[in-house]
Amino acid sequence: MIAATRAWFWLLSLSAASTALAASLTTGMIVDVAPALVGAMILILAWVKARLILNAYLRLSDAPAFRRGFGMTLALYACLLLALYLAGTTRP
Amino acid sequence: MSAPDTESVFDELPGDLMIWVLIVSELLVFGAGLAAFLGVRLTDPAAFAAAQDHLHRSAAGVNTVVLVTSGWLAALGARAVNLGSIAQGRRLLAGAAALGVVFLAVKWAEYADKAAQGIGVETHPFFTFYYLITGFHAAHVAAGIVVLALVAIRARPQEVEAGTAFWHMVDLVWVLVFPVIYLLR
Repeated sequence: MIAATRAWFWLLSLSAASTALAASLTTGMIVDVAPALVGAMILILAWVKARLILNAYLRLSDAPAFRRGFGMTLALYACLLLALYLAGTTRP
Repeated sequence: MSAPDTESVFDELPGDLMIWVLIVSELLVFGAGLAAFLGVRLTDPAAFAAAQDHLHRSAAGVNTVVLVTSGWLAALGARAVNLGSIAQGRRLLAGAAALGVVFLAVKWAEYADKAAQGIGVETHPFFTFYYLITGFHAAHVAAGIVVLALVAIRARPQEVEAGTAFWHMVDLVWVLVFPVIYLLR
């Protein structure tokens, strides 16, 4: 299986996982898990998907220095989004 | 006397440097928009969650599958053109562009539904960001469809690589927009 097809499979699987997580929270399928934790998991999945597209489709896997740079910047950005999300979720 | 060959770190980048400048610029714009959205959400998380309930998560989920699959076809198309299979490459790029049209059709239905409910840009700050971010993204999808069509017609490897890189950027932005706007509560 070529890298693009493998990435496509993972992107579909991770998108389904994040949608299922969000749906399970809104439909009350999971009640014992804090919404903030579910949100954090959804953001982590988004970060993984973004890295997959950068590495497999935009071929940063062929450019290790840029892969590291983009990966680090994306991780910092995901942390910013997570912090903003958690700040809004934990407020009374 | 000839100048010695100097290797630049930018030589490592796949494709043209200018397309990466464009990709980084676009990611910064959308990144700032999504961060601003979550920043404004801090003022009233409950109202943002209530507003989000008016969105069609399933339609957005379908659109995610459509766009991710379109990106896959574009990647396969670029690979085919690079290997000299021009006809196959064109077919795959046309498939990618066609799925882009499907994405826009679903988006159009989504906007029409909001309009029927009387929801507009000024209904709530949530919808201001919703229309701004998803509308700007849809404009990029429309531009990307034109770009894919143009590079498919000419079918030159370097141009196809640049065109599909733009399309993957549109894909990349969507995988960040989808969870932040539609899924996070």
